[in-house]
Amino acid sequence: MRLMKVSLFITCVSDMIFADVGKHTVGILERVGCEVDFPVAQTCCGQPAYNSGYLQEAKQSMKQIMLSFKDSEYVVGPSGSCVGMLREYPAIFKGDSEWEEAAIDLANKSYEITQFLVDVLGVTDLGSTFKGKVTYHPSCHMTRILGVKDAPQTLLRHVKGIELIELPIKEDCCGFGGTFAVKNSEISREMVKEKSQHVAETNAEYLVGGDMGCLMNIGGRMRREGKNIKIVHITEILNTHEQGGGIA
Amino acid sequence: MSIKLGDLSYQQRIEKGIENDFMREAVSSAQGRFRNGRLTQAEELGDWEDWRQLGSEIRTHTLENIDYYLQQLSEQVSKRGGNVFFATTAEEANAYIEKVIKQKNGKKIVKSKSMVTEEIGLNQHLEKLGAEVVESDLGEWILQLDEDPPSHIVTPALHKNKEQIRKTFAEKRGYDQSDSPEELAAFAREQLRKDFLSADVGITGCNFAIAESGAITLVTNEGNARMVTALPETQITVMGMERIAPTWEDMEVLVSLLTRAAVGQKLTSYVTSYTGARLEGEIDGPDDYHLVIVDNGRSKILGTEFQSALHCIRCAACINVCPVYRHVGGHAYNSIYPGPIGAVLTPLLDGYDDHKELPYASSLCAACTEACPVKIPLHEQLIRHRQIIVEQEKKSPIMEKIMMKGFAQWASTPAAYKLSTKLARTALKPWTKDETIKNGPGPLKGWTDVRDFPAPAKQSFRAWWKERQKGEVRNGNS
Amino acid sequence: MAIHNQDAFLSNVAAHLGRPRRISGVKRPSWSVRPQDRVFAGYSKEELLAVLKKQCQAIHTDVVEVQQSELAEALTDTIKRYRGKTVVVANDKRNALYGLDQFYEQLNKEVDVHIWDAQLGKENQTIAERADIGISFSDITLAESATVTLFNDKHHGRSISLLPKSFIAIIPKSTIVPRLTQAAQQLHASVEKGERVPSCVSFVSGPSNSADIEMNLIVGVHGPIQATYIVVGDK
Ligand code: SF4
Repeated sequence: MRLMKVSLFITCVSDMIFADVGKHTVGILERVGCEVDFPVAQTCCGQPAYNSGYLQEAKQSMKQIMLSFKDSEYVVGPSGSCVGMLREYPAIFKGDSEWEEAAIDLANKSYEITQFLVDVLGVTDLGSTFKGKVTYHPSCHMTRILGVKDAPQTLLRHVKGIELIELPIKEDCCGFGGTFAVKNSEISREMVKEKSQHVAETNAEYLVGGDMGCLMNIGGRMRREGKNIKIVHITEILNTHEQGGGIA
Repeated sequence: MSIKLGDLSYQQRIEKGIENDFMREAVSSAQGRFRNGRLTQAEELGDWEDWRQLGSEIRTHTLENIDYYLQQLSEQVSKRGGNVFFATTAEEANAYIEKVIKQKNGKKIVKSKSMVTEEIGLNQHLEKLGAEVVESDLGEWILQLDEDPPSHIVTPALHKNKEQIRKTFAEKRGYDQSDSPEELAAFAREQLRKDFLSADVGITGCNFAIAESGAITLVTNEGNARMVTALPETQITVMGMERIAPTWEDMEVLVSLLTRAAVGQKLTSYVTSYTGARLEGEIDGPDDYHLVIVDNGRSKILGTEFQSALHCIRCAACINVCPVYRHVGGHAYNSIYPGPIGAVLTPLLDGYDDHKELPYASSLCAACTEACPVKIPLHEQLIRHRQIIVEQEKKSPIMEKIMMKGFAQWASTPAAYKLSTKLARTALKPWTKDETIKNGPGPLKGWTDVRDFPAPAKQSFRAWWKERQKGEVRNGNS
Repeated sequence: MAIHNQDAFLSNVAAHLGRPRRISGVKRPSWSVRPQDRVFAGYSKEELLAVLKKQCQAIHTDVVEVQQSELAEALTDTIKRYRGKTVVVANDKRNALYGLDQFYEQLNKEVDVHIWDAQLGKENQTIAERADIGISFSDITLAESATVTLFNDKHHGRSISLLPKSFIAIIPKSTIVPRLTQAAQQLHASVEKGERVPSCVSFVSGPSNSADIEMNLIVGVHGPIQATYIVVGDK
């Protein structure tokens, strides 16, 4: 069988801050038989500028992303939010004779990692094992922009040894919102305080999610409040196996 | 009042909202109830997404042909003995209404809840003329007595508790009973009943006008709108020009969406569709009827990428799910239209000058877009506003502009980007302790004021990948 | 009657839409989905009645089901329960059909019964305002929302279902339809036929209420405080 070729879209946050997320993503993709490459010219999806209203600036970034992945068969990334951004390129470049086609091409082949596993590969059980009490925060862009609601939870349910605890009002935003967290930091603070409270109520040991931005926000707040919880990206859990696994 | 509520700065309003514990508690519990109600109703109805699709198609078609439908409406109303006045501005609308009231020598006016009359400042206008204006919706009446603006488009007094209401009633109307909601409501019933019976003029808003027959549909629970349309001899309907449905069948769908999305009800207690003046021999209903159709900045939204904002049916579902609204409350928006739809609509109707912060008062979580029964892409419109503020209005802060220019450079130059992944950790070293940054520099400050920031990884992903490619690291799984 | 300012206003609207003004020829498209037709499709009257009864609980409305021969008794009971001293009734053709003419005449010996009388003019409103109970027949009854549709006219004032403290609706079983959709279709069809729609169509679902004070549901605000539906088998 021909190996499925997948280009990793690391996202700038994971590239720089949470490198392990990338390693776990690679681990999972190779485990399910994909051949992974990493186009090194990739940068940022453009979201910080786009969401702040800097369309021209955002487009410069987006063009770089389109160039980087132009030869890829599939583009898979560990973030619902950033992949969601890629999927919006066609609307953004609509009518742009030079870039529209590339935008459509990229949007059609881009997937968030859990979405790729469940919807494209049809994998729901990765044979992973993870011991601990875990609560899952479904990030807003993953669920509402990208429309991925079930895949992460389906995968988590199949993890051996995991104790999943439902997060109260889980669909509520954590207050991250990219530049919103800085520009409207008071409102963002109130939002993340509330989210932290909900997470704490679950008594979970781990907070898991599919977007490091949100996890960094909630985790950072809980740390500031002296609350003890570990934040883990969903790929870390899925890439943990009895017979070793984990980060290479 | 007009669209804008007051003169506090954005910063002051946000702080005031966040510090108001009672209001936040009230809003939060109300949102909880709304959420449950809406979800139960949507579930019972089953194919909610189909309903939303239908609602969105009806609104799209209607707005695309709104000139046609408004003409049809006005002709039908006229046939049924009603006068129709098309008002381009708030002033024109107020002047016409003033004229009608003067002609009838109206002294006492009862109103049922109407956002558009708030928008055009009708009450203030009429009070200046010496007329007595009574708001008859319970929430609106409370606010009127207390001289406080609404903070929500469906439950306007959401921010008040019963003790505050009891006090207001006691001070303004000599109320001497408890703060039980039943007693408070019974008192309002008794007081307002007198007003209904003695008013010369009734003024209502309009949920949906039905173009094909000239009927105006009002959706209420209390019954006050029925009083206002049944008892006074002169009646005036004021409608925003977009509040129209082609036929009874379309009205039906929109009402079904409205009551479910707004309050989780299958229908409100009263849905009333009245047409023109009363017919020969009828006792109830006005003898003299006027429909005032208001533009006040709406037409200039047509034909722009914001056109779908006019699809709004004022259900407040977007407000009820909005976490920003929950924490800052309605008054923080400084607009009679708060929440996500307010942040979209207010700058369109009243300009960016006073409202340029509103489009940023959102984390773009899209809960509003998901809740909207007519599928208005609210969060996308907020982004579009931001683009206009940056590119056309040029109202974004200079530092932000410089940073964004820098961002574009960085993100479009792989070498620069790569360099930054190498240097980030070192650059932040002075602020890093135990892999954590608590007092970040520059733009990080807003972040670290509120929560910790993690130190960048010791080795970036791309550096790791490069080593791995060279065979220095083997994949643990292989 | 007069229409002011129409041309300037609508031409401006058309200009913003970037096209000439549309004066005729606009057709509603056929919508891509019609979920409203699927609600309770194929339900029998009995099944719809069950839906209605269940919904009545949600809207704080009592409902009784009677044979025609029991209608007078059911009305008497309800009036007693509401301690009605004065009653205002629509001057409905169906009063005779259901034998209520004699009943009201009888009732008038104990209770003050006023049958709406267009000749009396505003006096009707004053009576309705003082009445304890208003009684109307439903013209179309919506099962889903437990709604009675009232076509108000000169024999059936809007005040009857509005001003008294209590409201009784008589619902002929044959008037029950699945939901608002069917009522709207009927009204739309009559417009299409060029008929005149009533000056007021009131869709009433139970007593009035409000949630304006701390989101507490208060039953009975400006309109009736209590309501009873009497479902009656058809003539
Ligand atoms: S924008 Fe949508 S959700 Fe918000 S009030 Fe309008 S119709 Fe309701």
